[in-house]
Amino acid sequence: MPQTRSRADALSVLTKAPAPIVKALADSLLDELGDIRVLKNQTGLVMLPYTDSAQGTTFHLGEILVAEAHIEAQGQEGYGMVVGRDVVQAMALAVIDLALALGHQTATIIQLVDEQQQQQAADDDHLLKMVESTRVEMETF
Amino acid sequence: MAYVATKGGEKAIQESEKLYHQLKKPVTPEFVQEIMDTMPYLVDRVMGEGSLYAPELAALALAQSGGDLYEAVLLLRAYRSTQPRLAYAKPITVDDMLTLRRISAAFKDIPGGQVLGPSLDYSHRILDLNILDGIAASEDDEDTQVEAAEKPAATRYPLVADWLRQQGMIAAIDVPEEIDAADIPDVTRDPVMMPAPRAHRLQALARADTGGVLALGYASMRGYGFIHPTVNELRLAYADVQVKHPVTGEPFSAGRVRVSQAEVVTKGKSTYKIGFTATMGWNEVKLIAGATLDMEMSQADPHPALNEDFVLYHTEPIESSGFCIHFKLPHYVTFSSGMDNMRKVINVLYGAAAAGKDADDREVEAEESKTSEVVTKDTM
Repeated sequence: MPQTRSRADALSVLTKAPAPIVKALADSLLDELGDIRVLKNQTGLVMLPYTDSAQGTTFHLGEILVAEAHIEAQGQEGYGMVVGRDVVQAMALAVIDLALALGHQTATIIQLVDEQQQQQAADDDHLLKMVESTRVEMETF
Repeated sequence: MAYVATKGGEKAIQESEKLYHQLKKPVTPEFVQEIMDTMPYLVDRVMGEGSLYAPELAALALAQSGGDLYEAVLLLRAYRSTQPRLAYAKPITVDDMLTLRRISAAFKDIPGGQVLGPSLDYSHRILDLNILDGIAASEDDEDTQVEAAEKPAATRYPLVADWLRQQGMIAAIDVPEEIDAADIPDVTRDPVMMPAPRAHRLQALARADTGGVLALGYASMRGYGFIHPTVNELRLAYADVQVKHPVTGEPFSAGRVRVSQAEVVTKGKSTYKIGFTATMGWNEVKLIAGATLDMEMSQADPHPALNEDFVLYHTEPIESSGFCIHFKLPHYVTFSSGMDNMRKVINVLYGAAAAGKDADDREVEAEESKTSEVVTKDTM
């Protein structure tokens, strides 16, 4: 099955997927990837800039705690970063990213990404339907 | 002022900390999770002031500090200082947000309309004692469930400020230039000079003490300022943290965070003036008070308590709370030095015999002594 998603696209979905599902997928990929060299696996900060809608100034809103993993195997690198401090989840993301780079189990990965994206879209849709129910039409007397 | 280290009391200090913990229930992972799940606005406030988005750690800080907000913010800031900065995210604009609440007090009809989203604004402020009696409504009760609309709300809304700009009611702004995030002025790394770059001002407001911002903003609203604020637009939203993949260079989302922003307007001579504040998490009081202060600080000659220097320095939660509570720590040497000086003054003014007497008695005696001298002179 041809790869239909970029690595960044897959990561964008999997960072919001339940951690146990992501970790289970990564576990199932490990055997095929062979020896993996861990370049980084740590927590740290990502500074979040924000645009002021009054005057157009970009400023720093604050920092986000993240976990990241950077790994290498078979001459390719895999990377994962996720909001929070779960370094195992970051490592799982890096393993999946590496598998996509190497073309291992692409169909399995894409299938899970598709499922998760559908679930997330359904969750957002439900949330926004609840938000819509709070739409207010003000009247003045 | 000179500070002199003290030593001693090690055992008492250790026991004091143990007693603090013993007088409350121990913190458990379940309790921390409960705080995250049931008090998101409190967690947001601590994250915003702690300048670190980490709900789990903010909840832990609240639990560990027994709910002392300043102590919790300090714990979060201290943790933040141990972490390396790994990257800068793509700047967030309103176009990137999933907006859940968007209201305007200035206009009832705004492009895109108003959605109240999650809010207690129009609720009765009545304690639900049924909860204490264990007869609270079940989560499955239909009356407590949102009746979802058939169609979803929009994910994005145009800015009310842009709408006003199109009508010439507020000043036009240039399209923001692309800026390398690492070059944005940063109060955590640069000294804050006055007048502060706008990026410093807005960052300082984003991490300011909510109570401090409210106190000064309220002073302006009550009449010590020159403006009458109206909320042009207020938004609560989720935003993706977009970072660059270090191998492919493509942007990807590392997850979603809660953010909020408000614009406040006031009448100028021929157009409206606009103020702005945004923060991590959802904190409406801080947004409205902060945006009001943004406008006050931009006045040519604001009230002394509303100028930029005063506002930014006095709303820093860790600096202010830390300076306040340091006064309870040992100042024995400086206080003793002051006492010595006071004794010398008493000795010189009232004589050695006055030392140790009640201050009021001393004053009375000194007055009587003066009167008797006058009487003696007059009768001579």
